[in-house]
Order: sequence, then structure tokens, then C-alpha cells
Amino acid sequence: MFEDYLLRLFSVTPRRAKAIFNVLRGRRTVSTLFAGLTYGCLDQLDSWHGVPLERFLATAEALVNQGFLASPQPGYLQLTPDGQQRVAATTLYRPVALSAFQTVAVRQFAAEAQLALQVVSEAVHQQRRYYPVTTDPKTQARVKAWVRQQSRTREVAAAVYAGLHAFLGQLDPQLAAIFVASLTGYRQPGLTDAQLGVRFDRQPIELLMIRKDLTCQWVAWLQSHPKDPLAGLLAPLVKASPVSTSAQRTVRDFSQSGDLNQIAQNRRLKPSTVREHLLEAAILTPRFPFKRVLSPAVLTQLSDGFGGRQDVADWQFAEAQAVNAQLTFFEFRLYQIMRCHDATS
Amino acid sequence: MQQAELYHLLKQKYGFDEFRPGQLAVIQHLLAGEDVLAVLPTGTGKSLIYQLVGSVLPGLVVVVSPLISLMQDQVARLNYQGEKRVAALTSQQDYGSRQQLLNRLDQLDFLFVSPEMLNQPAVLTAVRQVQLALFVVDEAHCISTWGPDFRPDYLTLGTLRNQLGDPVTLMLTATATARIRDDITRQLRVPTAHQVLYSVNRPNIYLAVATLSDETAKRARLRQLIETVAGPVVVYFSSKRQTDLTAEWLRDVTGLRVAGYHAGLSAEDRFKIQQQFMTGQLDVICATSAFGMGINKADIRMVIHYHLPTSLADYVQEIGRAGRDGQPALAVILYVAGDEHLVQSLNDLTSATPAEIAADQQRFARKQPAQDALSEVLDHYWQRGIDPARVSEQFVARAAARQRELAALLRYVTSTTCRRAVMLSYFGEDAPEHSLTCCQLPGADLPLDQLGLKRGAAPTTSEVEDWEIQLKRLFLLNF
Repeated sequence: MFEDYLLRLFSVTPRRAKAIFNVLRGRRTVSTLFAGLTYGCLDQLDSWHGVPLERFLATAEALVNQGFLASPQPGYLQLTPDGQQRVAATTLYRPVALSAFQTVAVRQFAAEAQLALQVVSEAVHQQRRYYPVTTDPKTQARVKAWVRQQSRTREVAAAVYAGLHAFLGQLDPQLAAIFVASLTGYRQPGLTDAQLGVRFDRQPIELLMIRKDLTCQWVAWLQSHPKDPLAGLLAPLVKASPVSTSAQRTVRDFSQSGDLNQIAQNRRLKPSTVREHLLEAAILTPRFPFKRVLSPAVLTQLSDGFGGRQDVADWQFAEAQAVNAQLTFFEFRLYQIMRCHDATS
Repeated sequence: MQQAELYHLLKQKYGFDEFRPGQLAVIQHLLAGEDVLAVLPTGTGKSLIYQLVGSVLPGLVVVVSPLISLMQDQVARLNYQGEKRVAALTSQQDYGSRQQLLNRLDQLDFLFVSPEMLNQPAVLTAVRQVQLALFVVDEAHCISTWGPDFRPDYLTLGTLRNQLGDPVTLMLTATATARIRDDITRQLRVPTAHQVLYSVNRPNIYLAVATLSDETAKRARLRQLIETVAGPVVVYFSSKRQTDLTAEWLRDVTGLRVAGYHAGLSAEDRFKIQQQFMTGQLDVICATSAFGMGINKADIRMVIHYHLPTSLADYVQEIGRAGRDGQPALAVILYVAGDEHLVQSLNDLTSATPAEIAADQQRFARKQPAQDALSEVLDHYWQRGIDPARVSEQFVARAAARQRELAALLRYVTSTTCRRAVMLSYFGEDAPEHSLTCCQLPGADLPLDQLGLKRGAAPTTSEVEDWEIQLKRLFLLNF
């Protein structure tokens, strides 16, 4: 159930609920991204896109009322002992590849791939009269262009088959069966999530999660098999970096000049925006050049104060400022980010 | 264009030798540049009319259609029939996609659009810039039944048509009383339109009503009908939730392949369920009225109404999806005394008293935003400077019409004489003589044997196939 997926995002220490939900909904403010990093759920960024915040909040409230979550202070939630037990007992599918959402337009790819596979399947059976899956004009145009680039139908279909067979062959057989049963093609409209749920004895929401995750796994497989016909459909939907284009440019400028005010002037940005860009990049790219921004003196001071403390999300800026009044919040936050990356590397 | 040429085109483009009743007459009037209001029973191939006219006349065919799901069905069906230059302009598309579509209108043959969308200045401007072959108002009865209190944009279609240069107009519907026909031609400002009218009577559909004591008895009768009468079957409900719950229950107790269908499903799920039903992979669909307009499945054997429809016109539309192959079919209403209260309360949702209307006008005057669906509808009138008294008149008239429609429906449901005669007299038609295979009179059993509608084979359950075989079947030829 949706409730169980939500419960898994909390721990025995308090977490900012709205920030977590906004990570799942794909909000990319620095504060949301930082919460995702400290709570270890950044890999799920954007994976519940389109689900209204109200639905998350209402579900969380229900979990509080049922005694699985507790709210030690406004806006914060943590697992109760019952909640811990429920998380431990749940056998719901655990997604493994949702981080693809950071760099790939997964939903657009899913829509295009569904239509492309239908077109190939019908074409190889010489069917010209069939109902195409319902898609928007952009998806149709992109799939049409892809179809035109392909060689002979039988060869494309054979290659598509070989690719899918290789990809699915490495999965748990039940997951492979779910993937294939949901496809639309020749004499196969495909099963809905509710129908798959009945067939495989799982909740429809679990099927939603499984299919989402399988698409992400397929995306990763296609990225390492660039000769597969579907890789051509995927390629334009992949970004080189999870960082926004504007923030990438700021990082590039910074690595050249090293002067934040200069960048702000040249790009006609507020200095605070430039700092936000660097923080976004630092959160999303572990190899960010932290030591170019943080001076050795600042690093030493912060290490002395917080070196032994693992509870990064709970550090207070005021504590750090008490030691060094000149310290900026930007430097403090950057150090926090660096420590999070160090802890997971 | 000569009649022989039209027959040639029919054969060449669609593979048919004969036109269905009404098609040829409507096509000839349209090709002669005359507006037509066509009342043709469901299943007579209404879309073929505008397709064929569109392929003869230069320019774009604009089809005004009431529902997004219907537009998607229509686009898919035209695609299926080989028409590639077809698109629907809907609120589900983002701004960029819509703009892209509007920029290439001259490359399209058919455009499906809702009245609300066509009313948007950018859309209207773009459509005005292309040559129009034909202006089609599909499900034209919606002008009368949905206009005043639910979709006021329907009431501006006459003005829109004028702004588009009064193109040749085709109004299509399956059911319309004289009053509704008059409403349609008045609202669209085509008083001299030719009216091509065919009977709403579908003699191959047996009409039945089961009057039951309570909800439990209703469920039991539903199950019994599903288990004993031949399929495929559509069961209509007025609530989304009940479609899902009943589908699940029927699947469990009958072992048949049953699915729920309603507007709350994703587009992907709706497509899949519809296609499963079309291709015979489902025995029963439990649906709201979102299912059906645009469905072209010839062999539906039974349509059950678990909840009452809102009017006889809706009922005739919905049961018209059965027996399109001309073979016997069965239409059953499951009725418990008091069921009409549900229709009544649905009607009340869109009604408003003169005091409420006046208060809402004050709200608009104070520049406060609309807070509910009713306010949104009323905003349409206020934005056009229409007087609250006139709006009240319209609402009162519409409420009275709804009452009349419900009363007529109840006369049909509770009739102790020939139901077909009651139904046809409502549409101003004479009924054929009552017979055993006409309709069910109180106390009579369903003549399933005579109709040849006994369920034959044992319930089907779908076997789970190995994924590798399924994958081969999808992508490898001769497997």
C-alpha cells in the first residue's frame, strides 16, 4: 500500500515530512535536495511525480492516527515502535533503479517505448489496422521519426526481441513476466496494474512501483547497450548530469574564475542564486570540488567542531558561528554536504 | 457527385457494398452544401458520414465532441481505418503541444475538439485561418441536455459557427425528441437544416426490467443474469467506486473475466481495458457512462443498468451499444423502488434556486473567484453580462425538463404494458405490435431460449503464459 511506501521513508529520528515528500514529487529547491541527501532518499527524487502534496500529507496524518508515526514537533515525523515493526514486516517490492529519474525523462521514455513496441509488434505481423495506444502528438511524432530510422521490420523486431530477452533474462522471472504481460502489441492489449495485481497476488500500487522500477532498470540496460534499437529512442531523453543547465554553467564559470561575485555580475544573477547553484551541484555530484570553495582554515574549524558528529541534519549553524563569526551559511551548508558524501562514499 | 461514385468510394475506402440506413441521404445533402441534423440509431456508422464527406471536400473537418475519452476513441478509430491526418485538441495536452497542433492545422483532415476548447480565442483564430470542409457537432443532444446547467459552452456553438463563416454543418445524434431537435437547430442557428430521422427502435434488443425488493436482491439478480445470459456484457453504474467493487465481486463469484471502467482510470488503463473488451479478452465490463460513446463492438449481447440512467434518451443511447451485429440482445434495468432518488440527487447537484443564482451574481460582482462547480458554470453567464433573472429562467426550465425526463423514464420502468411502445411514444414514434421477443411484461420470464441468449460455454479463465513465449508471440513472426 501507498502507506507502506511512505512509512519506509521515515526512521526512528525525526525527519521533515514535507521535505521528503517534495523529494519524491521532484521539487528541486536546495532545501529539498539537502533533505533528500541527509535522509538518504535522494535516489528517489521525482519518482512520485504528479502525486499531490495533499495526498502525502493525508496519508501521513492517517499513519500518525494509526500510531505508526509520531510527530515530536510540528512538521517532523518519526517511526513509532509499531511503525518500525510494520516497516520490518512489509514484503512490498523494493525499487532499485529509481535514480534514473535524475538524469532521464523516464515517463516520456515509457510512453514512447510503449507505442514503439506496439508499432513494431503489429508491423512484424503485417497488421496495418489497429488501435494505437493513446499518446500525445509529441510522443507520436517522436515515435514516427524513430520508426522511419529503422531498417527492415523483421530485423528491427528480431533485434527488439533479442534486446528484451537479454534484459528480462537477468531479472527475477516474476518481474520479467510482469513486464511482458503489461506490454501492448499484436493480439495483446496488455494488462492493467489492477489485473497484474490479481494475477501476481500483489497490490496495484506495488505493481505501479514495480513497473516504474522496471522501466528504470531497462533504461540503465539500454544505456549500456547502445546498439539496441530502443537505445535510439532513449538517447535524446538523457541528460549528462542531474544538475540543472544553469547550475552547471555556474560550476563551470566557478572552476575558471573562482569568484562568486564576478559570476553573479557576468550572468546578471543575484549572488544568492549563484550560491544556490553551487549547493545544488554539490548535492547532486559527489565529486564537487569542495576544497576550492572552503578554505583550509574554515575546513579545520568545522572539522574541529563537528568532526565526530554523524547527525549532519541536526547541526546548528549558530553553533558553528559561535566559533567563527565570519563563517557564512553557504560555507556551513557546503561542509554538511561534503560530510554526507564522505559518509556514503 | 453521382450516387455511383459515392458507392465506389464506399467500397474503395471502407470495403462496404451498401450504405447503412440514413448514411447516403445525409451525405448527399451535405455534398449539396446543406446543413443536416441526422438522428440515426447507434451503430449505423455515423462517423463514416463525415469521414466520407471529408475525403470528398477540400479542407478540414472540425468535429465538436463532448468527452476527451470519446475524442481519443474517435482518433484511434480513424487511425485504425487508415486516416493518418487526425488529431484531438484537448485540455490534457500541455501548452506547447496544443500550440504545435494549431500551427499545423492545414496539414490535418480531421480535428476533434470540445466546445470549451473551440471557444478559446487562440483556437478559434487558428481554425478560422484554414478552409473548413465540414463542421460536425457529434452527440448533438448534449446541446440541449448538457448546455444550460453543466456545459454552457455548448450554448455558444451557434456564435462560434457564425465566427467560422457558417460552414456546412452536420449535427449528429442517436436520440432526440422533437423538443431536443428544435433546441439543437435553434442553438446552432440553423433553423432550415434538413432533418434526416430514423427510428430509435432497435427491434433486435429485447427490453427488460427486473423490479427487486432491495440491494441484496439486486446483486443476486445481477449475478444470475451474468451467469446465465450470453456475453459480452456491459453493466452500467452511476458511481466510479461501485464499478470497481462490483467488477471485483463478479470476478470472484462467477470466475468470468470482468473489469471496471471509469473516467478515474489512467489513459493507459482505459485503453487496455477497452481493447481487451473489443478483442474478446473480457466477458464483462462494469462501467460508468464514460464507457461506450465511441465503442464499436458489434457482438455485445447484454447491457444491464444497475443504476437508473438519467433519461430515456440516455438509456436508448446506452443500450444501443448492444446487438450492433443485428443478432438478438438483451437490455435490463435492475430497479428497486426509490432508485430514482439517486438520479434526483445527481440532478440536484447541477440545479440552483433563483436566490442562489442571484447570490452568485453578487459574488461575481465582488470579483470573488468561483468556489464550486456551480459557480464556475454561472461565471460563464456573468462574464457575458447575462441577467440573473434570465439565467434563473433557464435553470428553472432545465430543472423542469429533467423532471419530465425522469418521469418518462419511470413510466417506462414501471410500465405494465408493452415497454417498447412506451419508449417509442416518448420519441413520437409508433410501436410495432408486441410479441414474445419484444419486451418483458411484469411477471414474465426472460425468453432466453427463444432469443438464443443462454450462456453456453463454462466460465472462462485466462491461463498464465510463460513470459518468453509471450515475448516471442509479440515480436517474432510465425511463432
